[in-house]
Amino acid sequence: MIEPIIRVKDLYKNFGDVHVLKGISTDIAPGEVVSIIGPSGSGKSTFLRCLNRLEEPTSGQIFFKGEDIMKAGKKLPQYRQKIGMVFQNFNVFPHMTVLENITLTPVLEKGVPEKEAAAQAEALLARVGLLDKRDVYPRQLSGGQKQRLAIVRALAMEPDVMLFDEPTSALDPEMVKEVLTVIEDLAKEGMTILNVTHEMGFARQVSDRILFIDEGIIQEQGDPESFFSSPTSPRAKEFLSKVL
Amino acid sequence: MDKIIKILAKYYPVFLKGLGGTMWLAGVTLLAGTVLGLLVAFLRMSKFKPLSGLTAIYIQILRGTPILLQLYFFWILLPKVLPFEMSDTACIIVALIINASAYIAEIVRAGIAAVDPGQWEAGRSIGLTEIHLMQKIIMPQAIKNILPALVNQFIACIKETSLASVFFIRELTTAYKTVQASTFLTIQPLLISGLIYLVVTTVLSFAAGRIEGRLKASD
Repeated sequence: MIEPIIRVKDLYKNFGDVHVLKGISTDIAPGEVVSIIGPSGSGKSTFLRCLNRLEEPTSGQIFFKGEDIMKAGKKLPQYRQKIGMVFQNFNVFPHMTVLENITLTPVLEKGVPEKEAAAQAEALLARVGLLDKRDVYPRQLSGGQKQRLAIVRALAMEPDVMLFDEPTSALDPEMVKEVLTVIEDLAKEGMTILNVTHEMGFARQVSDRILFIDEGIIQEQGDPESFFSSPTSPRAKEFLSKVL
Repeated sequence: MDKIIKILAKYYPVFLKGLGGTMWLAGVTLLAGTVLGLLVAFLRMSKFKPLSGLTAIYIQILRGTPILLQLYFFWILLPKVLPFEMSDTACIIVALIINASAYIAEIVRAGIAAVDPGQWEAGRSIGLTEIHLMQKIIMPQAIKNILPALVNQFIACIKETSLASVFFIRELTTAYKTVQASTFLTIQPLLISGLIYLVVTTVLSFAAGRIEGRLKASD
């Protein structure tokens, strides 16, 4: 058996008295594309944000390539460099040009020479059709362009996993596709992807596995075809009847 | 009006020196207060509870008591506890700086708090160390909130330095007292000093507005 790239064991997260995650365990295989779906407030975003410790889990273990991230200490940024994340609200750096957004971290944290980082950034920009925007500031970009920038900013660190937290939820409808296409291309190239999403069609189309989370636990998981056509858990049935 | 012109003709060097003293006091207070205020702000935001708690108390005391009282306190205390001679001016400057540091610490803290939390998350998620995150992502954006408030703090400093006249330190309000003592006129020199304050603070307010507008435009 291949070693999982991410292994989550008994993950719990409380916000005060509110128990958001109540024991989540799962393995993510290298190259696997996993879509995480569920009602809002179900804990799916919190689960994703625990994986790079943007949220501090209350208890549980998270292994990245066999190493416990919970014990990372000062090495936490080094793990995060290998776990890219894309947010609903893009969170591009508004005070830097498109190119600087991408080159900042490789130059600062990995010691990549400026020129090399710029060349790499240009290649990434070309790939998502933003090369002509390299010297503009994010305020001049559309939502879809900002999100594509956010994706390549993460890719510039050459991550092993990409976490997407509702990457198209804040986009105007006509911009959703340009972002989904980029994610789909990444999936085809073999990137390991965890995608929290409300785009059911997309989840069904690109995923290897669906994780259905509700009330802080994985209620059901499986390959997209069987999950969407014949869900077994009552919660998944109810959820799908509402969204499909 | 006649008397004002006569006073100005004869005593303008006193007012000019007074203005110089005021600007110098306010400038030193703002500069040193900003350095100290930054330090206080970062201690205040420290995750180490005793440290942030102590700085919260420091800030509360300085913002919760009258500045004149603080001037007296340092003016009396410092010469007693320090092993070396300290002039009145030095004591007052120390007091002004410490007072300003509390206000500036709050300005800095508020400026940083106003940066979108998503920026912290993005910087962390991409693997920036906390120091680089602060340097490259948070502070450059916080500056936009901090700078206009700092100019306003400078205006407040200029007005507060008038309290130094209580200790007869050379500044604009002391200039009024000097002229008043030698001419036995009160209203006229008071008006002159007041007008000079007004011109300086108005110019600075205008500058603050411009800075704010320009910083906003780059968002």
